Amino acid sequence: MTVAVDAPTEGWGGQGWAPSSTPVIELRGITRVYRSGRLEVAALRGVDLDIWPGDFLAIVGPSGSGKSTLMNIIGCLDRPTSGVYRLGGTPIESLTDDDLARVRGRAIGFVFQSFNLLPRTNALENVATPLLYQGVGRRERHARAEAVLERLGLADRATHEPSELSGGQQQRVAIARALVGEPALILADEPTGNLDSASGAEVIGLLHELNAAGTTIVLITHDTDVANHARRQVHVRDGLLLQ
Amino acid sequence: MSPFELIRLAISRLGTSRLRAVLTMLGVIIGVGSIVALVAVAEGATSGITDRIQGLGTNLLTVTPGATFTNFTRGAAGSATTLTVEDADALAKLTGVAAVEPEVDTQKTVIAGLQNTTTSIIGTTPAFPAVRSYTMWQGSFLNQASVDGSLRVAVLGATTADDLGLDGSSIGSYIEIGGLPFQVIGILQPKGSTGPVSQDDQVLIPISTAHHYFVSGDSVRSIGVSVASADQIDATQALMTVTLEQRHGTNGTNDDFSIQSQAQLLSTFSSVTGLLTLLLAGIASISLVVGGIGIMNIMLVSVRERTREIGIRKAVGARSGDILFQFLVEALVLSLLGGLIGILVGVAASAAIGAVAGWGFVFNPLTVVVAVGFSLLVGVVFGVWPARQAARLDPIASLRYE
Repeated sequence: MTVAVDAPTEGWGGQGWAPSSTPVIELRGITRVYRSGRLEVAALRGVDLDIWPGDFLAIVGPSGSGKSTLMNIIGCLDRPTSGVYRLGGTPIESLTDDDLARVRGRAIGFVFQSFNLLPRTNALENVATPLLYQGVGRRERHARAEAVLERLGLADRATHEPSELSGGQQQRVAIARALVGEPALILADEPTGNLDSASGAEVIGLLHELNAAGTTIVLITHDTDVANHARRQVHVRDGLLLQ
Repeated sequence: MSPFELIRLAISRLGTSRLRAVLTMLGVIIGVGSIVALVAVAEGATSGITDRIQGLGTNLLTVTPGATFTNFTRGAAGSATTLTVEDADALAKLTGVAAVEPEVDTQKTVIAGLQNTTTSIIGTTPAFPAVRSYTMWQGSFLNQASVDGSLRVAVLGATTADDLGLDGSSIGSYIEIGGLPFQVIGILQPKGSTGPVSQDDQVLIPISTAHHYFVSGDSVRSIGVSVASADQIDATQALMTVTLEQRHGTNGTNDDFSIQSQAQLLSTFSSVTGLLTLLLAGIASISLVVGGIGIMNIMLVSVRERTREIGIRKAVGARSGDILFQFLVEALVLSLLGGLIGILVGVAASAAIGAVAGWGFVFNPLTVVVAVGFSLLVGVVFGVWPARQAARLDPIASLRYE
């Protein structure tokens, strides 16, 4: 089943490693089977999905539907049991674990429900961490991290540690960290789940802004209200996409 | 990631929990500190005793009764005469021998006025200062006439003179040794070397006098032989052995005496102290191993505590190798820093012990190199396993870890 997708009118500019005519993410017949002893559980049972540059897609499903597994696979934290996954045209099945780590660092920016900032580390260092693993020098790391914090209105919080920030601020720092490496897409897993409604709205607003500026965003949520903010939605149920 | 970035990351991480870092390092500090201190103490003691052995005299061969002597006296007490004054006289006639000094000794109470002390009374000959490297401070030494006449005259060691409250003005005065009056004719210059047994606490009297009043028979405790020049020592030792074997009717397999050169004494001694140093260092290394286990323990706790951090780092692009090195470098920084502090502690401790014991400050740069090497080794050996545990963590499970 194919979905009518608005043809992307703009690339996500700046990366240049994928022309706007090809999808950022291309999933074909993805399955994921967990094995515990003799028991086999299929979390995904054949998923086809294209995500285009500049897309703002919500993957919606209740817990246990397989949406977390799908997110782990899209985020290169996990590998599919079968099927083809192309990220920017590159099949990831052939990549080693170290290559996958590199892809995570360069092509994907994660935003988690529980923020997942490094404790006892200030906002600036947190934002700069992905660049550390790309081998970017200290001065450039800090300059780029400062620029992103500035863009998200957090310049005055750069030296604060996560414990000194509100939930909304922490999630914005996490979004800054996701953005700093100029990834192909941002993968946001229940980004408003731990926030009050005002902070949640702020974060959703921020994602809209980023998308308007060209960033591809994939939002994973069980909350249809949140999902309605996305440009399009796919629903996961029992390991299959209902579109 | 460059090594520099890893070290910076490790130091900033350890800086956030200073108390824990210090307590973790304590094991290595104690281990390295005690190795450095114990080795320095062993070396200091060795050099102190070596100095004393060298202070005993130059080109010195010492003849002592052998093991059979002990068995013999046990069988027939009092009749032991394996080494005699006559043996000493015979040795004195050999070529290459500069001077010969037979000795007997006993312990007696010495009284001068109201002062008294118990010390060793050594019966000897006029050759004593030449053979044993003593010089006179006051008065004169025993002469041949005093030996020939078995005179009751005495030369005091510097310490003994001090103990008895005697000085230069006391030459010619009388002291009591074992209840008999002796005239003080001289006081020796102190040797100045240190150790538990003083070479300056003794009273020297003519050997004939000692045999007459204090020691029955004409056996001697030892014969000191001064060889004319250093290159004749081996030849002279061989000649002496032959002469004594002829006199005693032995043939090399049942010799009742032994001749030791200073070189032998030194090598015997240094093999003993070398073993002692090794033993002490071995015991101290156990504490270093315990310190290493402490580091491993804390690193394992740390990996468990920081599971989520590891997950985050992997999610934002850290490879397993990055995580491995991050934790390994943390362990290395802990052990190396502990090692450096331990060296400082050990050097300070050995300087303090040296000052108290009197051999001064002994410092061997090799110890520092070895100590640093060992602490690095400890860091690697006990840091690799926790670091591997960290590197192997599954990012998905780590991110969910509470």
